[in-house]
Amino acid sequence: MNTLERHRKLSAIWASERGLKGWFSTVNHTDLGRMFLVTAFFFFLVGGILAMLIRAQLATPHSAFAGPDIYNQIFTMHGTIMMFLFAIPTFEGLAVYLLPKLLGTRDLAFPRLTAYGYWCYVFGGTMLLVSMLFGIAPDGGWFMYPPLTGAIHSPGINTDFWLIGITFVEISAIAAAVEITVSILKFRAPGMSLDKMPIFAWYALVTALMILTGFPPLILGSVLLELERAFGLPFFQADLGGDSLLWQHLFWLFGHPEVYIIFLPAAGIISTILPVMCRTSLLGYGWIVAATLGLAFLSFGLWVHHMFTTGIPHMGLAFFSAASTLVAVPTSVQIFAWIGTIWKGRPELHLPMLHILGFFLTFVIGGLTGVMVAVVPFDWQAHDTAFITAHLHYVLFGGFVFPVFAGIYYWLPHFTGRKRFFRLGEVAFALIFIGFHITFLAMHWVGLLGQRRRISTYQPEDGWTMINLISSIGGFILAIGIAIVLVEIILHAMTANRGKRNPWKAGTLEWAMVTPPPAYNFASLPHVTSREPLADDPGLPARLARGDGYLADPPTEGSRRETLTVDISTGRPDYHVAYPGNSRLPIILAAVTGLFFLSLLLKTYWVTPLAVTGVAILGWLWVWSRGHKKDMPPQPIGRGIKLANSSTVDRSPGWWGSAFLLTADATFFGSLLFGFAFLWTVAPGWPPPALFEPSALEFATGLAGMGISAISIRRAIGANRVGDKPGAWLVMALAGTGLVAVICITLMLRAPAPPGHAYGATLLVLGGYGLFHAALATMMILFLMARVRGKFAMTACRAEFSVVKLWVDYAAVTGVLILMAAHLPGALG
Amino acid sequence: MSLTFLTLFTLGGCQGELSTLSPAGPAARDIATLWWGMLVGALLILSFVMLLILMAFRRPAKTADEAQQVRVWIVNLGLIFPVSILLALLVYGLVIGERLLPRSSAEVITVEAEASRWSWTFSYPDRPGLQTQDVLHIPAGRPVDIEITSTDVIHSFWVPRVAGKMDAVPGHVNVLRIEADRPGRYAGRSAEFSGSGYASFGFTLIAHDPTAWESFLAGETG
Amino acid sequence: MKDLLRILIAPLIWFVAFSSIYGLHGLICGHGLQAIQIGSLSLPRPLLVAAYLLAIGVQMVVLGALYSAQFRSRSGFVRFVSRATGWTGLVATIWSLLPAATTSYCV
Ligand code: HEM
Ligand SMILES: [Cu+2]
Repeated sequence: MNTLERHRKLSAIWASERGLKGWFSTVNHTDLGRMFLVTAFFFFLVGGILAMLIRAQLATPHSAFAGPDIYNQIFTMHGTIMMFLFAIPTFEGLAVYLLPKLLGTRDLAFPRLTAYGYWCYVFGGTMLLVSMLFGIAPDGGWFMYPPLTGAIHSPGINTDFWLIGITFVEISAIAAAVEITVSILKFRAPGMSLDKMPIFAWYALVTALMILTGFPPLILGSVLLELERAFGLPFFQADLGGDSLLWQHLFWLFGHPEVYIIFLPAAGIISTILPVMCRTSLLGYGWIVAATLGLAFLSFGLWVHHMFTTGIPHMGLAFFSAASTLVAVPTSVQIFAWIGTIWKGRPELHLPMLHILGFFLTFVIGGLTGVMVAVVPFDWQAHDTAFITAHLHYVLFGGFVFPVFAGIYYWLPHFTGRKRFFRLGEVAFALIFIGFHITFLAMHWVGLLGQRRRISTYQPEDGWTMINLISSIGGFILAIGIAIVLVEIILHAMTANRGKRNPWKAGTLEWAMVTPPPAYNFASLPHVTSREPLADDPGLPARLARGDGYLADPPTEGSRRETLTVDISTGRPDYHVAYPGNSRLPIILAAVTGLFFLSLLLKTYWVTPLAVTGVAILGWLWVWSRGHKKDMPPQPIGRGIKLANSSTVDRSPGWWGSAFLLTADATFFGSLLFGFAFLWTVAPGWPPPALFEPSALEFATGLAGMGISAISIRRAIGANRVGDKPGAWLVMALAGTGLVAVICITLMLRAPAPPGHAYGATLLVLGGYGLFHAALATMMILFLMARVRGKFAMTACRAEFSVVKLWVDYAAVTGVLILMAAHLPGALG
Repeated sequence: MSLTFLTLFTLGGCQGELSTLSPAGPAARDIATLWWGMLVGALLILSFVMLLILMAFRRPAKTADEAQQVRVWIVNLGLIFPVSILLALLVYGLVIGERLLPRSSAEVITVEAEASRWSWTFSYPDRPGLQTQDVLHIPAGRPVDIEITSTDVIHSFWVPRVAGKMDAVPGHVNVLRIEADRPGRYAGRSAEFSGSGYASFGFTLIAHDPTAWESFLAGETG
Repeated sequence: MKDLLRILIAPLIWFVAFSSIYGLHGLICGHGLQAIQIGSLSLPRPLLVAAYLLAIGVQMVVLGALYSAQFRSRSGFVRFVSRATGWTGLVATIWSLLPAATTSYCV
């Protein structure tokens, strides 16, 4: 087979449907990455327009531009859009587009999940946009503190749009995070051991893990607040045993890691591009990996620095102040490693490099003001003033927008296969850079002069008029710069100005392909022996296209999309993977998921169970279509190696995906237990008037159910492995999860007065959590039973069994904890 | 950069009655000093880092070995340099923080502040029965503990020239220690977003000299 | 998988120690335990300091293990990174929990 034939064959297998239809059924990471990025940039423009409205309003005192009710929506939506609909999705889009190419493979771990995540993002984002068009957008500020956002003080639907819309969008973040984690750990080119991974992959891995552990607290907070608003369960109402500080803890437990979730991918871009711009390699790869990990962890111990003025005792504040200063150290390791990299090489001032220099100045200032506000007494003054607004933009704009612009200009030739024609970018950079600093330097100052954030207007006597005017002028210069970037990108996409391959002479694998990239990325997969394979072997692209690597021969029959996985640490080939093809299932599932959220938003609760049923059915189909009626023998991958297929192994991609999804789930559960303990120790009105009546019978029944399900699923697996019928054991497991479900229902029914006290409300939620997982496990066991009855080749293709075991075990373990949380206090006290 | 700061400084002026930089009490003064110190430190660090970057562009090509470069850039500059500065700053910040805590002492006067959308109600255990609306009376030159709470949403008690801020959280009573050097009127603001009336939500702090305070307590004024 | 554990263990322990000691302080203040006296010492300080030292001790053990022939990784890269995060865990524990021994509690 020659190069062209191979290209034709592979393209036929991997291509999306032609035309508009293709957009809705594509599961290809290159398509979806582009779609993510374009959508995110659209939201950046919307958020930017809102920012201009803010600056217009604040340009003069006594501004009559917008009244407070509209103004509050404007800044809330600005912050919300920038954080949730621009920054995070930009990371997702970049990672989705780049990772398989950097890692030398053909797609991400779960192509349909990528598409599902994208559509959840689009639908959720649309919900928020619609609210803005109707003038009923959220207006409680981007961190939505109750009681202001509770039903009493914000009775309208505005807040619900935020709670429900953002939770919907977060599904896409969680989906992307699971996807990215599994892809980086398992889906790499053979030979790529951990130390040979491109540095961006490390950053993306750490970021994805942070999303998995950082977002659940906010999802929990949103669920609780929505439950309070819709059904009167008083989690945040002080007079009914709730506490508004619980929200602040949950929000910032998410919110601080969030800013590092935004910064780290940008740092990954810098670490990737900077050495190329300086014609050298990155200084201190291992140090940077360690610093990134350290940063990620430390960032989970900083959240209270957003709560320095809430009345927490000084020792509590001091812990977080100390941790907040410490987090500057791994950041500084990276900064100096980068400067050392510039020294090590010969820097060239291409456009991406300009943005990197813009990043350096801006981000270092932002970091320095960050250390300032980490000092408790100073924060007592600076908190909630324009100083904070200035600081956060130095960090977010400096630490994210500049690097992303560097990345866009760097990878634009890759996205399109063209080269820049109109040299507008340099002018745009100058305007953005100057405009930004005028806008926000001024805001530090006016903050110290006492201007609070989020005020809709001020008085001439306040003495802030001049500074605000200057700041607004800067804002408009900045906006013009961004408009020019937009124009340039559009022109770039429209002019047919073919560029050459690898224009920057980079060493990483994404440039080892033609651009724009073919749907399958690599005609054959490379064997990686260093961090910069392309630098070592400039002939690599041609050899791969010729079919010198792994999986060079497309399957002769059918049109299976194939790739392979590797062992996590060593990069040895592990097993063979066949992907699903184009499908409309993701967009349909996302739409039905959207229906679920919409029914909650509009309080048409009769639709909710229908939507849940729809999701369950579609989810079932999703997995069902992956079954095998025939045994899957080991598959040849070239170079004389045969690998087992993923459906025949215990640690399949599905298992890894479940394991990381459960990590997020466990964080959610842990946050719920934390909330319970927090209310018990800190909230006014505790201990509750009446404790849950403990019952030895229920407790024992619950434990028995969990034990039975966990043991039976193991027996079922054992039986299946030796070729026996697992049916009887599966029925037992089903009985076990059924018992657990019943016990959770009784717990919910017997929870003392949920609307009357946060105690009962929390028990209700705990019971609901247990019930949900018991139901999920039940459904999975039923699924296995259906497989066995349908005479699928389960003995060989046993992967699904170990996935189900994971979920059954999880339901059992959390079930025990739930039972203890409910029954023990009453039994002990 | 620093030039811009200075220009803005003169433009904005220091006379603002909400300025944290014209302190009129020990807490605000400690914090303003802290700020100026940190500003100088930050500018030095910033210039140093920017200089390093600039120098990278115009220096004779030389090659050091990688281990040496790691030692210079990562260990010395990346680790040791920030650790030493941050440790000093942290200790300084904690010491000031300790100093500003509301420790009990005979001299301290207590006032209760209750926020609701959008007004402050102050009451005075030393003068039972009296409540003032949006005007807070304290003696000048004596430490005062404000016991802060809220009846509806979260607010924050802030008199920028006198001290830092403290939130008013429903169901909790938070204590903030303040002290005004001299008799006079000081502008206060609620500094936590509270909805449509937030922009103009403020109050006035009046610090009395000893005789005026005595007569206030005796019910002759207020 | 084991290599990931080696890399993550020390910072994870830091996080657990950090939140537990923060929680311990909250518990002490929330339940009025600060009033309890043991002889001339009031209870909270020794309790907090003991927890602090315990956390440091655990981190030292972990760091030792990461250097030991028995537990270290076979990959040189993982050895380096796991020791670096091991040091991070130790330093972070000493640094961020220092207030347990130095600042005043419950005010
Ligand atoms: C395009 C240039 C931008 C300008 C001119 C701008 C301007 C502003 C202004 C003036 C405020 C303060 C409103 C107030 O509270 O008084 C604000 C708030 C905020 N901005 Fe931006 N911004 C820009 C870009 C961004 C970006 C890129 C992000 C994040 C990635 C961001 C995130 C936020 C957040 C989180 C808030 C706080 C909203 C709140 O208080 O609820 N902004 N922005
Ligand atoms: Cu933070």
